[in-house]
Amino acid sequence: MATPLYRRKVKHFLISLYSLSLLVIVIFVISISIGPAMLDPVKVFNAIFFGYPVETNIRVIISLRLSRAFAALLSGASLALAGLLMQTITRNPLADPYIFGLSSTALTAVAIGIILAPSLMVYRQYLIVVAFLGAITGYILTLSLSKLGGGSSLAMVLAGIAIASLFSGISHILLYIVQQIIRTPYVYFLMGSASTVLQKDIPFLTIPTIVLTIITIALFKPLNSYLYGDEYAKQLGFNPILIRDLSAFIAAFSTATTIAFVGIIGFIGLAAPHIARFLVGSDHRFSIPITVLVGALLTLVADIVVKLISMYAGGIGELPLGVVTAVIGAPFLAYLIIRRVRE
Amino acid sequence: MKIVVEGVEVWYNSIQALKNVSFSLGEGEVTFIIGPNGAGKSTLLKTIASIIKPRIGAVYIDGKTISIYNPRDLSKIIVYVDPQISRSIPSTVLEFLITARYPHQPLLNFKISRRDLEIIEKISRQLNIEHLLDRRLDQVSSGEFQRIVIARALIQNPKVLLLDEPSAFLDLRYRLEVLEYVKRITQQNKLISVIAIHDLYLASLYADKAIVLENGEIIAIGTPDKVFNCELLEKVYKVRIAITNLNGKKIIIPIEPLEKIGS
Repeated sequence: MATPLYRRKVKHFLISLYSLSLLVIVIFVISISIGPAMLDPVKVFNAIFFGYPVETNIRVIISLRLSRAFAALLSGASLALAGLLMQTITRNPLADPYIFGLSSTALTAVAIGIILAPSLMVYRQYLIVVAFLGAITGYILTLSLSKLGGGSSLAMVLAGIAIASLFSGISHILLYIVQQIIRTPYVYFLMGSASTVLQKDIPFLTIPTIVLTIITIALFKPLNSYLYGDEYAKQLGFNPILIRDLSAFIAAFSTATTIAFVGIIGFIGLAAPHIARFLVGSDHRFSIPITVLVGALLTLVADIVVKLISMYAGGIGELPLGVVTAVIGAPFLAYLIIRRVRE
Repeated sequence: MKIVVEGVEVWYNSIQALKNVSFSLGEGEVTFIIGPNGAGKSTLLKTIASIIKPRIGAVYIDGKTISIYNPRDLSKIIVYVDPQISRSIPSTVLEFLITARYPHQPLLNFKISRRDLEIIEKISRQLNIEHLLDRRLDQVSSGEFQRIVIARALIQNPKVLLLDEPSAFLDLRYRLEVLEYVKRITQQNKLISVIAIHDLYLASLYADKAIVLENGEIIAIGTPDKVFNCELLEKVYKVRIAITNLNGKKIIIPIEPLEKIGS
């Protein structure tokens, strides 16, 4: 019974891995093809992956849209990773960097950083460090507040909402003040947008995402043991406090990279791990890669929706990315709350 | 293998949970720890499992203090069966049982060996939880969960097995089956088994050795013949107790409380 069950699990994982990777590539190509000038997806695919020669104007358009698509893909992946880690270390299926206030405190730190040193806006990679300090502060604040409130999973969510609201308000005010320095509408920071990311920023999004994902996958055994309780992890020879702190560090860092470049995007960190667990179960060996792919996919799709709405509605400027993920993600949160409270 | 507990004192902040506890445990023996609520049974098990560190005294495995073992080696030797497993993130029974093989695998080993799966298969068959492997851990009954938790301990393949209230939530058949199974593998595999239990009847059925705890102190220790006497147990539990002889074994039957509530 155990062997065939396990084989089936591995099969599910491989099928999910291949089909999701394929989907990510397809949506990525489509995302680049969509814009005021529509391109032929097949041509785009050949140009990107096989280096086929294309007309100069198309090549320029592709290279312009490439950084945006990459930004959406990578920020989705790292937010999903952060969400999964937070759900595991708090053992709370409602955890997510946005709901737990990490995103807002990171953004507040970024805003303060820009006020103190406006040149940070040009060297966004240094903003990662600032955002990281903010995110880790947010994590500690939310956890301490929830401990005061009894430490139940509902107390954690409520504490997160309190911290998130407070700091999104503060960052709102601060960003309003520095609007002339950042030169982009500050709403893009507040609700996230992949359109402001430049080509030179992409490596600073790519490298942390890949490195942190690999580190997290390597931690699958401690993480799996941690799921069942501190004492349980201890019994299997792992140090639960070390696992928790290391995971919080990784979650805060991957949240920080997205905040520094694209701003706050909510709910990806909540939804992606749930979808991954639905597909391959909660063994981290399988759920980490799938979560990362699902996060990338969701964000790419949300970014395409942003582009389409902006193109056809013809408003001034573009819609922020976080608006779309909120519309998709909030009902999902409602569903999770209802199911958990019922249980 | 031999375990020696020497002069152990455990404090939870200012409350003393264990007072000068000393005894030794040998291979192939099932030792039952009995005593009322708050007597320190779980604390004693957790101290042996090195989950709680004693303030004074030490636990020795084959003459070496437990604190010099590294946690990973220790996890191959001692298993403490805790019925309090967090189940808030849904996972399946099989996913849970697989974690019990981790101490025997290299940390970065991504593949689960066929042997590991065979061990899981064998023990889940013996404990009759094979049909549950695919189920979610939070969707099994308490009795089934108790068996899953015990199965996990045996899958970890320890030399020392510490069970905390293994009979809770089990129905009559499984109480007897599980304890008899533990006794059998203890003898077969030369394990050291320690079971903290409330049910005196079960303790008297299967004990090779018994320890009576009260307020963190050992007040009796030894063979069932010696430990199970009416006077002592009545004093500890405040319950009238009868002891009958069955097949040369002393069987404890609790009868009525000495002080009745509301009278």
